[in-house]
Amino acid sequence: MLVAPAQRRRLGLLALVLFLLVFPFVHDNDADIDSMANAAAYATLALGLNIVVGFAGLLDLGYAAFFAIGAYFYGVFSSFQVMPLWSDGWVSLAVLGLVEKINQGGPDLVHFTLSFWLALPCAALVAAGFGVLFGAPTLRLRGDYLAIVTLGFGEIVPIVARNAESVTNGAAGLNGVQAPRLFGWSFGVDATPYYYVGLALVALLIFVSIRLRDSRIGRAWMAIREDEVAASAMGVNLVRFKLLAFATGAAFSGCTGVFYVAKLQTATPEMFGFPVSTMILVMVVLGGMGSVWGVVLGAVLLQLLQSWFLPDLTQWTHALGEWLGNAWLQRVDFAESVELIFGIILVAMMLFRRDGLIPATRQPPALSFEAQHVAGVRRGGFVGLERIGRWENSDWQKSGGNALDVRGLTVRFGGLMALNNVDLSVPAGGVVAVIGPNGSGKSTLFNAITGLVPAQAGSIRFEGAELLGLPPHAILARGVARTFQNIRLFPNLTVLENVLIGRHARLATSAIGAVLRLPFTRREEAAATTRALDIIALFGNRLAPRANQTVSGLSYANRRRVEVARALATSPRLLLLDEPTAGMNPAETLELAEQIKSLHAQGLTILLIEHKLDVVTRLADHVMVLDHGECIAEGRPEEVRRDEAVLSAYLGRAAREAVPRRW
Amino acid sequence: MTMMSETYRMLTRRSACQAVAGLAAAVAAGPALAADKVVKVGLDLSFTGADATDAIRMANGGILAFEEANQRQEVPGITFKIEKYDDGTATAGQYDPAQAATNARRMVADRAVIAAIGPQMSGAGKAMSPILSAGDLATISPAATNPDITDPKFAAQYRPAGRAVFFRTVATDAYQGPNMANYLARTLKVASVYVLDDSGAYGVGLADAFQLQAGKIGMRVLGRDRLDPKAADYGAVLTRIRSLEPQALYFGGVAQAGVKLAKQGYEIIPTVIKAGGDGMQSAGLLSGAGFPAVEGWYATIAAPHVTDDPKLADFARRYHDRFNMQPDDYAVTCHAAARVIIEAVKDLLAHQQEVTRAAVREAIQNANIQDSLIGPIAFDGNGDLRNRIISVFQIRRDTTKPIDSPEQYRYVGVAPQS
Amino acid sequence: MTPADVFVQQAINGLSLGAMYALLALGFTLVYGILELINFSHFNLFMVGSFIALGTLQQFGLSGQDTILLGLPLAGVLLAAFAVTMLATGAIGVGIERFLLRPLRDVKGPAAMITTIGASTILFNVVLLTAGADPKNFPNPLPPLTFAIGGAVLRLREVLIWVVSVLLMLALTFFVQRSRLGKAMRATAQDPEAARMMGVEVDRVIMTAFFLGSALAGAGGLIFGLYYNFTSFIIGFNAGLRAFTAAVLGGIGNVPGAMLGGVIIGLVEAFCGQLIGTAWTDVVIFSILVLVLVVRPAGLLGRVAPNRS
Repeated sequence: MLVAPAQRRRLGLLALVLFLLVFPFVHDNDADIDSMANAAAYATLALGLNIVVGFAGLLDLGYAAFFAIGAYFYGVFSSFQVMPLWSDGWVSLAVLGLVEKINQGGPDLVHFTLSFWLALPCAALVAAGFGVLFGAPTLRLRGDYLAIVTLGFGEIVPIVARNAESVTNGAAGLNGVQAPRLFGWSFGVDATPYYYVGLALVALLIFVSIRLRDSRIGRAWMAIREDEVAASAMGVNLVRFKLLAFATGAAFSGCTGVFYVAKLQTATPEMFGFPVSTMILVMVVLGGMGSVWGVVLGAVLLQLLQSWFLPDLTQWTHALGEWLGNAWLQRVDFAESVELIFGIILVAMMLFRRDGLIPATRQPPALSFEAQHVAGVRRGGFVGLERIGRWENSDWQKSGGNALDVRGLTVRFGGLMALNNVDLSVPAGGVVAVIGPNGSGKSTLFNAITGLVPAQAGSIRFEGAELLGLPPHAILARGVARTFQNIRLFPNLTVLENVLIGRHARLATSAIGAVLRLPFTRREEAAATTRALDIIALFGNRLAPRANQTVSGLSYANRRRVEVARALATSPRLLLLDEPTAGMNPAETLELAEQIKSLHAQGLTILLIEHKLDVVTRLADHVMVLDHGECIAEGRPEEVRRDEAVLSAYLGRAAREAVPRRW
Repeated sequence: MTMMSETYRMLTRRSACQAVAGLAAAVAAGPALAADKVVKVGLDLSFTGADATDAIRMANGGILAFEEANQRQEVPGITFKIEKYDDGTATAGQYDPAQAATNARRMVADRAVIAAIGPQMSGAGKAMSPILSAGDLATISPAATNPDITDPKFAAQYRPAGRAVFFRTVATDAYQGPNMANYLARTLKVASVYVLDDSGAYGVGLADAFQLQAGKIGMRVLGRDRLDPKAADYGAVLTRIRSLEPQALYFGGVAQAGVKLAKQGYEIIPTVIKAGGDGMQSAGLLSGAGFPAVEGWYATIAAPHVTDDPKLADFARRYHDRFNMQPDDYAVTCHAAARVIIEAVKDLLAHQQEVTRAAVREAIQNANIQDSLIGPIAFDGNGDLRNRIISVFQIRRDTTKPIDSPEQYRYVGVAPQS
Repeated sequence: MTPADVFVQQAINGLSLGAMYALLALGFTLVYGILELINFSHFNLFMVGSFIALGTLQQFGLSGQDTILLGLPLAGVLLAAFAVTMLATGAIGVGIERFLLRPLRDVKGPAAMITTIGASTILFNVVLLTAGADPKNFPNPLPPLTFAIGGAVLRLREVLIWVVSVLLMLALTFFVQRSRLGKAMRATAQDPEAARMMGVEVDRVIMTAFFLGSALAGAGGLIFGLYYNFTSFIIGFNAGLRAFTAAVLGGIGNVPGAMLGGVIIGLVEAFCGQLIGTAWTDVVIFSILVLVLVVRPAGLLGRVAPNRS
C-alpha cells in the first residue's frame, strides 16, 4: 500500500481523533475517563510551558503559579467564599448573570456566579497579566538566574494563597466551586462532559501553538532562544516578545486552572507547589522542548505512567509476591516512586536524548550530489540580483547628506577606553572600510552603531536621525543591518528560517493575527518567503538547495553567506559587514568581494571591517584606520596603506623599514 | 520430535502450571466457600507521603475487623474483601485531592464495592464526598475531622444527592479544638494562650476553632502565628512567644512541624503548658522529638479513649499478634468503622434484603451499636457521630516501653463540652 | 523579657541561622564560581549528608539526647563523623559531576541545569523512599551549656556553629587564594580555554571544586543535625532557598560574600518572625532575591563583570 507519509500521518491523526471521541462510550469507566480528562489538563499545561521554555528558551521553574492563579480566579468568582454586601451597584452585573443576590440569614450578600465558559478567557487574560508581571524582572537576567526568579514567584503564589484566607479560604481550600453549566444543565460529578471539554481545550491550544510556531511570532521566539543578541540585532524586540511568551504560556496555564478546578470543585494551595512545576517540566523535556506534539505525548505518557502503569505494575508485583511468598514484593508500591522516576527521566533525557521523544526540528535527508549542483555555479557575483531591486533611499541621497555620521564617539569598558573620540562619515551609496590591528576597537565601533554596547559620549546619526540610545531592534528598523565577526546564526533553525528572521521587522502580523491567519497575514508571509528565497538564490547553488537544512550543518563559508543573506533580508540601507571574508580561501574571498561590489552597485551603503587589504583596496572608496580606539589615519586606500602610522601599527617600526614598497 | 508432539508437550506443561497455580490460589484463599458472595469495601487512606505510617496503623485496624469476620463466618454467605486505595501522591508529598477524586470514581465504578472506609484527611474527603454522593456509596472516615464536609450549610456541595454519605467514627474539629480550650481554661486554669498552626488544612481549621472558643470563654489569646513544616528553625517565633509570656501554647498541626516545635519549645519556653490536637498523637512525634522534649505535651483525640480499657486489651493483643505493632486510637476508630459496615450487612441479610449500596448506606445511617470499641455508635442526619467525646492525653515518659509506643500517652480525661 | 532582651535574643537567633546558611552558601558558591552553573542538587546533598551523619553517629551507639560526651571521646566521635560524612557527600558530588555534568559541559542552554534538577529530585526521593517522611531524632552528644546575656540566652552550640563556619571560611579562602590548586580553580573560573592552554587540568580542577563544595554541604548537614537535633528529607529545600539567596546577596562566586549574605538573611528571618510573623518570611526572602537579581545582580561584594562583546 503506497500511501505517502504525509497522508499516513493525517489518517493516523484522524483515527486517533475518532477513537478519542468515542472513548467514553466504548469504555464506560468513570475513573478512567477522569484520568483522561486529567491527562488533557496536563497536556495543556505542557503546551503552555512549551511556549515559554521550548519556543522562547526561557526556563520557567515556577510555572504552576499561573495554574494556581487561573484556578483561584474561577474558584473565587464561582464559590461562596467571597461575599461582599449587596448594594444597588451590583444589579447590572446580576442582569448579566455574573452575580446573584443571596441571603444566608442576615444582610443581603453578593454571590459570584461567573460562568465557566466566560471564566476561561477571563482567567487566561488575568494569568497573562501576571505572566507579564512575573516576567518583567527577568528580562535582563541570564538563563539560570531567570530560572531562580521564576522559581521564587512559583513559591510565593501558593504562600499567598495559603495566607490570604478571606479570599482563598487558606489551607482548607475552597468550598463550593460551581460546576460548569451548559444550557441550564450542570456538569455535576460525571467525568464525561469534563473529558470532552478537556479534549476541546487541548485541540484548541494545539492549534494555537502550531499557528504561533509557524508564524513570525514563533520565529522571533526561536531566534531569542537561539541567540538573543543576534535576534535583537535582526530586529526582534526582545522585551515585547519575551513578555509575550510569558503571557501566552501563562494564559494557557490559567485556562487549565479553570478547567481543573471546575472538575475537582475544590482548590487547595498544595496543588500548585514546586513538584507540580517540576512535573510539567518533565513532560516538556520528555516530549521534546519546542515540539508541540511531543509535549502532548509527554503529558499523556506521564499520566499513563502515574494512573495506570505504576499501579498495575504494583498489583502484578503483589500478585507475584503472593505467588512466591515474598513479603517485600507484596508490600512494594511503585506509585510512590513516581517522583524518583521523574528525576531519572530528566537526567536520562538530558544525557541521551536532549531533543525529546518527538524532536522539534527534523533534519531533512542529506543532499545528493545532483541536488548540490542544481543551480548553476557562477564564479563571483550574485545570481538574479535584479529580482531584489535597489536598496537606496533616493530622497536622502538626493539631499546630499551622509548615510552615517559618527562624531566624537567614546566607549569605555570599566577602565579600558575602547573608542576615544572617533569620527567617521559614510556617504550615501558609498563603501567605507575600517581597518586596524586586533583589539583596536573595530567591532566595538559596530556594536556601538548597532546599539549593542552603550556609548559614553558622542553622536551617531543615520540619515540625519540620532541612533545613540536606541535599542538594537529599533536601529535595525531604521535600516541599519549587520553581520557578526564570529557568525551569530540561529543554530537549530534552517537557512530559510534564519533569513526569514531578517524580514521580522518588516512584517506586521501580531500574535492574534498569527493565530487567525487572516488573508493579510497569509499574503505577508508569502511575500516574505518569496523575498527570502530570492535572497538565498542570490548565492546560486551554494544556499538554494540547502534552504531547509539547519545551519549548524553547513560549511563555514556557507554560514557566512547565510549571515549576509539574513542581513540583506532586512531591507537595509546601510550594511555593516564585520570581517565577512574571515576564514575564507582566496577563491571564496574573491567571490564574496564581487558580491559586495554588486550590492554597492544596487545602491546599498556599506561599512566594512576587513583585514584583507586587497579586498579593502578593491571595494572601498574610503578607509579609516583604528588603533587602540583612536583613528590614526583616514583617506583613500592607496594613501592609507602607505601611511607611516598605519604601517607602524600593523607591522611595527622595524618591520616598516624592512617592507619593500611593492604593494 | 514432531511439531505436533512438541506443541502437545507445551500445552500440557502450560495447563499443568495453570492447574498448580489454581490450586495454590484456592488454598491461599482460605476458608471462603465457593458459594460465598464477595462484597468489596474500599479503603482509601494516604499511604504515600507524610501520613503514610499513620495510614498503615489505621488500615490494619479495619483489616483485622474484616479478617476476623471472614474467619468466623460472622455474616453467613458473605466474604468481605478490602480494596486499598491510596489518595497520597509523591508529587503532593501527602494526600492529593485529585487522586482522592479519582479513587472515589473508581470505587463508584466498581459495582462490587458496597461501602468504603476513609479518607484519612479532610481535604481528600472534600473532593470525594460529591462523587460518592452521586454514586450513593457510603464511606465512614476514621480520622477526617474537618466539619465542613458534614455541615448542612455545604450540603449542596458535598452531598448533592441529598442523603448523607460521609460518616465518621470521630468527632469533628468543631469539637476537638474548642473542647481543649475548655479543658485548658477549666481544668488547668490557664488564663493566657498563644496559638500556632502548621499552615495545613487540618491544622489551620483546628487552631481557628480553638482560638474562637478561647475568645468566647475569656481566655486571652496573646497571638496567632503559622509554622512552615518545611522550615527547620522556629527560634524566631518561639522567642516572640517567650517575650509575651503566655501560660499555654496550643498547636494545631501534625508531627512534621510538631517535632521541631517540641524540641525547640522545650529549650526556649520550657515552663509553658503545651497542647495540641490529634496530629500530635503520633508515634512519629515521639520518635522524632524524643524525650525530654515531648514530656508534658497534651494531645487530644476526637474519640472516646479506649486502648487502656481492659475490654480492649484483648483487641490490642490480637492486633499486635497479627501486625506486630501496637494499635493507636485511630486503629480503633477504623476497626469501629469496619464493624459498622459488617453489622450493616448482617442487618440487611437478617431482614432478607439485598446487599446493595443504597441499602448499605441506609443501614449505616440507621446504625445503633451499643458495645463497640469506641462506645455507642449512632449517626445523625449529617453523618456525624452522635457521641462527641474529646479525650485528653498527656505524654509522660514510661521507660519500660519503647520510645514510640502509644503508651507514652497517658489518658487524663474527657475534655469538657462547651 | 525586656524589649532589649528580645532584640538580643532574636539577633542571636539570626546570627546562628546566618552561620548555617553561610556554610551552605559557601559550598554552593564555590561550584558556581567555577562552572557558572546553579547546582540544584547541592542542597539535597546537604540533606543526604545529615542522614549519613545520623547513621554514623548511631554506629557509635549514640541515640536521642541521652548520651553526653566530653573531651576526647567527643572530639573523636565528631571527627569521625565529619570525616565519614564529608568523604561520602564529596564522593557523591564528584559522581554527579563526572557522570551527569561533564558530558554536558559544552552544551549550550538549560541542559546542565535541568540535569541538576533531576539529580536533586533523585537524591530527595531516594532518601524519602528509604528513610520515610517522619523527622528523625538526631543524637546530641554536646553538653548543654548556656550563657546568659541579660534576659537572653546564648547556647554552646550557637557559639560552635559560628566557630566552625568561620574556620571553614578562612580555610576555604586561604585555599582559594594561596594554594596552587586554588589558583588553578580561579583561572578556570575566569577562562577555561586559557587555563587549559596554560597546562591546568581543567577536568581535575572542576572535580576538586565539586568535591570540596559537596564535602562542605555534607559538613553542613552534620552541623545541622547537631544543632537542631533532628533531620528529615525536607530540610534541603527550605535551607537551600535561604542559602541560595544568601549567596546571591553577597555576590555569587565570592567567599566572604557568602558569609555576609548568610548573616543578613539569617537576621532577616529572625526579625521577620518577630515583627511580621513567620507566615510571610518566605515571601520577604524571595522578594530580596528578586530585588538583588534585578537591581544589582553582582550582589553586595561581587564585581560587575566587564562586558565581553
